[in-house]
Amino acid sequence: MLKLKEGLILREVAGSYVVVAVGKAAAEFNAMITLNETGAFLWKALEKGATEESLTEALLDEYEVDRKTASADVKDFIEKIKEAKILK
Amino acid sequence: MKKYKIADIVFEAETKYAYTGKLCEEFVYTGEEKPAFSAVITDSDVERERKGLNAPEPLLESIALQRKFCEYVLKNGNGTIFHSSAVAYKGEAYLFTAPSGTGKSTHTRLWKEMLGDKLTYIDDDKPIIRYIDGEFYVYGTPWNGKHRLGGNVKAKLKCVCKIYQAKENSITKAEIPEMIGVVFNQTLRPEQAEDMEKLLSLTDKLLTKSNLYALGCNISREAAELSFKTMTGEKIC
Repeated sequence: MLKLKEGLILREVAGSYVVVAVGKAAAEFNAMITLNETGAFLWKALEKGATEESLTEALLDEYEVDRKTASADVKDFIEKIKEAKILK
Repeated sequence: MKKYKIADIVFEAETKYAYTGKLCEEFVYTGEEKPAFSAVITDSDVERERKGLNAPEPLLESIALQRKFCEYVLKNGNGTIFHSSAVAYKGEAYLFTAPSGTGKSTHTRLWKEMLGDKLTYIDDDKPIIRYIDGEFYVYGTPWNGKHRLGGNVKAKLKCVCKIYQAKENSITKAEIPEMIGVVFNQTLRPEQAEDMEKLLSLTDKLLTKSNLYALGCNISREAAELSFKTMTGEKIC
């Protein structure tokens, strides 16, 4: 199960999606992550708690993509948030 | 307590060290306006700054004052500190921003050499920007960097320019997505969620309402001429 650390918020700024930390999380993480529309969609799914598989399924439900593309997008997304060290 | 006026905000401050008083000298306020808030710098405020920076106590005190002032401006004044080198030409402000060490100050120094008295330094390191009645204004602060370039100056914002080092000089209009992180990373981040919302909304306005540029430059007069001509639309006289 993939779970995000507490205190991260997703917002739209000037037409782009960004994630920033507030409260205690801000002490560890003070950068800003920018996400595209797919990234923002995956983020929202992840906020509730998800797995790599469930994210891929969610993407397939929402967008007209093939499984291979969806799976690659999800892998990229997870890689990005792992690098940012914001998973629990 | 002594009264100061920074970024059009009158406040009073109680500090311990002569260093902080000297730093803020130009901003001392003797008018009748009541202070909007009081900043009392305590030992624990200084300790908090020590965690981020190992520096002499007087310097830490001045940074603690900066933080208090910034918190107030963000909460009540639609403003933030914006780490950049800010100059004014014909009453309009040009902000050059980049991570430390890229060459912001070097580039504005080249502008100064080129334009002489026609150019005024607003703040070489930590100007405040405020959004008032649909316009952004740039203000000098006491925290204007190691060369102390700037003063008690205010100018309407004209351009925000991101700087990166390059062998050849080039300048382009910058797209918003490439500027979001650049701009946001140069502000002082609040901890409280409600203040973060304010900072994000301010960032949104800054990006959507400003002329944004990206300048790749080396250290040369040619670099300064290029950015000057492009952003002001004027020729060098």
